[in-house]
Amino acid sequence: MKDLTLQFMGASLANVGSTIIAVAVGVFLLEFALWLVFDRLLHHRLALPIMLLTPAVLGLAALVVYPLLFELQLAFSNMSLRRFKNPDYGLAIGWDNLKLMFTEPVLKQAKFFPLLLRTFLWTFIQISFHVSLGLFLAMLLNRKIRLKGLFRTLLVFPWAVPQVIAILAWRGEFNYEYGYVNILLRWLGMANPPQWLTEPTWNFIAINLVNIWLGIPFMMVTLLGGLQSIDSTYYEAAEIDGASPWQRFRAVTLPLLRPIMTPAIVLGIIWTFNNFNVPFLLNQNLLETSDILVTALFRAAFEYNRYGFAASFAIVVFLILLALTIVYMRISEFTPVTAAKVSVAAGEGKRPAKAAVAAAKGGA
Amino acid sequence: MRFWKFCLGKDYKEEDSMKKLITLAVCAIMIVGGITAQTKLTLWTQEGTAENAFQYVQDLAAAYSKVNPKVIIEVLNKETEALRQDYQTASLAGDAPDFLWTVSDHAGPFTAAALIQPVDKLVDLSKFGDASAASLDGKTWGVPITLGNHLMLLYNKDLIKAPPKDTAELIKMAADLNAKGTVALTWNQTEPFWFVPWLGAFKGGKVFAADGKTPNLNTPAMVSALQLLQDLKFKSKAYPAESDYNTADTMFKEGKAAMIINGDWSLGDYQKVMGDKLGIANIPQVKGAGWPAPYTAGKFFMITAGIDKAKLATIVDFIKFATTKENQLDMFSKLHRLPALKTAAADKLVASDPVQKASAAQMAVGVGMPSVLEMRAVWDAMKPEFIKVMSNSETPKDAAAAMQAAALAGIKALK
Amino acid sequence: MRNVGTGRGIFRRTRYGTPAGLFATYLVLVIACVFAVYPILRIASVSLRPGDRLLSTDMSLFPPDATLDNYRAVMQDTKFPVWLWNSLAITLSTALIGVMIASTSAYAFSRWNFKGKKAGLIFLFAAQMIPAAMLMIPIYILAARLGLINTWRGLVIAYSVGSIPFSIWILKGYYDTIPIELEEAAMIDGASRMTAFTKIILPLSTPSLAIAFLFNFTQVWNDYLLGRIMLQRSDMFIWTQGIRTFADNFRTQWGQYSAASLIVSVPVMILFLASSKYLISGLTVGSVKG
Repeated sequence: MKDLTLQFMGASLANVGSTIIAVAVGVFLLEFALWLVFDRLLHHRLALPIMLLTPAVLGLAALVVYPLLFELQLAFSNMSLRRFKNPDYGLAIGWDNLKLMFTEPVLKQAKFFPLLLRTFLWTFIQISFHVSLGLFLAMLLNRKIRLKGLFRTLLVFPWAVPQVIAILAWRGEFNYEYGYVNILLRWLGMANPPQWLTEPTWNFIAINLVNIWLGIPFMMVTLLGGLQSIDSTYYEAAEIDGASPWQRFRAVTLPLLRPIMTPAIVLGIIWTFNNFNVPFLLNQNLLETSDILVTALFRAAFEYNRYGFAASFAIVVFLILLALTIVYMRISEFTPVTAAKVSVAAGEGKRPAKAAVAAAKGGA
Repeated sequence: MRFWKFCLGKDYKEEDSMKKLITLAVCAIMIVGGITAQTKLTLWTQEGTAENAFQYVQDLAAAYSKVNPKVIIEVLNKETEALRQDYQTASLAGDAPDFLWTVSDHAGPFTAAALIQPVDKLVDLSKFGDASAASLDGKTWGVPITLGNHLMLLYNKDLIKAPPKDTAELIKMAADLNAKGTVALTWNQTEPFWFVPWLGAFKGGKVFAADGKTPNLNTPAMVSALQLLQDLKFKSKAYPAESDYNTADTMFKEGKAAMIINGDWSLGDYQKVMGDKLGIANIPQVKGAGWPAPYTAGKFFMITAGIDKAKLATIVDFIKFATTKENQLDMFSKLHRLPALKTAAADKLVASDPVQKASAAQMAVGVGMPSVLEMRAVWDAMKPEFIKVMSNSETPKDAAAAMQAAALAGIKALK
Repeated sequence: MRNVGTGRGIFRRTRYGTPAGLFATYLVLVIACVFAVYPILRIASVSLRPGDRLLSTDMSLFPPDATLDNYRAVMQDTKFPVWLWNSLAITLSTALIGVMIASTSAYAFSRWNFKGKKAGLIFLFAAQMIPAAMLMIPIYILAARLGLINTWRGLVIAYSVGSIPFSIWILKGYYDTIPIELEEAAMIDGASRMTAFTKIILPLSTPSLAIAFLFNFTQVWNDYLLGRIMLQRSDMFIWTQGIRTFADNFRTQWGQYSAASLIVSVPVMILFLASSKYLISGLTVGSVKG
């Protein structure tokens, strides 16, 4: 504790505090100027929304738009370690970067399409397990049981622990000699348990196992919310009609869960496709057979220093993910713009907001 | 910002004049500041806190400031790979630190990107031991601080009386030890750095051809070396099925393995844990071939290219201060690292230390680790194939061919 | 949630309701909980061991020679308390700023129609698909040009903005479920639009505001890359940077590393527990973000 003196704490608070005040003052002045111009001067219909949106727009311009333009520019360059300070730019170079991506190995041996396939496989495996196991646990938790709160809290653990720490703990458990996984397998009678960190197939399986473990809680919590919003009268009606539990699941639970499940899956696809930590950190031995697109991208940029090529690669990866998401949304008849409406329409059950609204009305 | 030139054309000039304005302002501030304030230098080092090495660098900087109150050196720590990546990024933004205290292999990427400057004319390098690890294109790009970083054989005197002299003896020992339930030898089987000494034991066992940058991995020496290690593992059961650095380290410390191959950086730790039980020897000779030749390297000062003269003079002065005999011996006593300064290395404090003597004997048969940029591709190419051979899922012959192909592809990617 | 969750009994009379079914339910849940918690217990176990024994075939969770030495060492001999403090100050403030900015923007998206709204929403949606590592170099260059390297100012701004797209999505989805009539009634009574927003919409949106805060907090708390490029002085480090100094190239102080790992998990755990009441309702509607 010797370094954490009151003085230091005060200084750091002052440092953070002054930044916050600076941001607040800046936002206020900006808002004031916007208000003067749009409301007072122009009497603009949208003066208020403009004022509401501007801080976010400015922030995102600096943090998302500028870097994107930068990457776009870089994608048309041949910048690398050997051409670090004076790279060339041009359309032809951009075209070369693209061509190289599909014709030559992206790293040393890994080619683009095997990587893409593996990424799809990875995303598919993960989403399947997250949704099925998450839904299974959510349905168990939705039953009338004791200690529900305790179970839920414990099951959310993998989500609540800082990810990097959890992953490194798992890496230890996959150690051939000392890891718990192999100790367990030996105890079960397996003489030569897998070499999780060195054999390509086993390493990929290990990565999948860890990410399944990490990803279940989010799906479980989301789907539990969905289950709780399904009105019990649906089940009662189905029961009166003599539906079996499986039929009830198919005819009531799944369709009514869809408005919750679809966006959760879309989110899951994005997070899984772009998951960097798990495949990167569990692949201690740099096996290219465990790389997915984003980790390959990182290696191309930071380990091989092919800045121009990597920028081009990044844009392609981004576009593939965008396309994948759009295709999924088309299939599931879900678009980001109408999403909110879908949810309202589906919100026949007691939605929390509605309940709160009802309470507010009752109080008024 | 070529992007703006690219799409707007005219705005570029405005940006240019803006730059001039900023430069003028910065100059003004520097002139005003120069009169009143001190010279401020930034040093990045990859020395971490775990061995107190970072503390040592900080103390050194503080000691210099005591003698030269006008100079303040800020020492910042970055993990080795982070240092390389961030130094490149910072250079791109024109925000690089003034100088570095880092491993010799960083000389490769940093010279390729023209980020650092040669030191031949700045410091008298003849005073130092072999600085070839940081020599490229006929110039030396770093001032050595400490040399070594080489692998050697460490053994537990409780478990074996004397170290094996050659691999035949090692095989015999392994049979005896295995019968008693003890692992004979353990080492980090996931890093090719632990493999290259064995490669060097065979004739022509070099990773590069004569030009020093064309990979030469698909050779009889490579096949023999891989075969040797595979046989030692699967036929002679001389080492365990899977062991990375931490596993190997733990097994040796816990007395589950009689020998370990590890680097000079680990000596201090083992001395602490094992005391008199620790023995040091050369990696055993390969029966029918030569002595394994571990890579040797070191820590070097590297200076950012294009910094102004006054700062450069201060940096050089600090480097000279850090490498005086007195300070080098001080480093030896605190960090147990072999000083790069010849007179310090010859001092009886160093020369009479039995551990250091054994370490130096191993270093004498070592070879300098190539620091050319291509080495990175070679490491990356060797690693997965080497691991496959060690898990018996590839023949040495196929592995050697695959390594060569991967290294060539990697070098192509580095262009 | 209680008022929503009670009186359900969906499966009460089904086969799951038999004693055997109930037993199976508990059994499965207990096994799942063991799986969920075990790796964390292992970290705890390592943190209690003396020395640096990460690896040991000893499987007992509570080592016989358990000691709190690692915790004492981490808190007294290292700068860890400073890093923890820095992280707390930065994370709490940026999560708050982020939610504030997002809450107003989401309101604009929810209640007005304007040109580019659809494009804006799609942009926010797509923004989450950008591989984060690719933004690092341009952000560093921008920060360096603005002189924000080695200041918290740059980090606070970057973090605050970083999670805005996700927050806007959560909040917009939630606002959309609140009937506009409520605000209109208030405005007829003479309240301004902003008053209606702060007095009616925001209080009703507590669950999703809490969830947005939780997401912002965990994202910033766990970030390493941005911290690494922006902060270089060890006094200014955030914990994700600091904890890496326990691990040298080859040598890792596992005991201290594990102790520190458990300590940094505490704030997130507390937050998860505190918001568990909202975790289900807030995310339900919020996940409409799609």
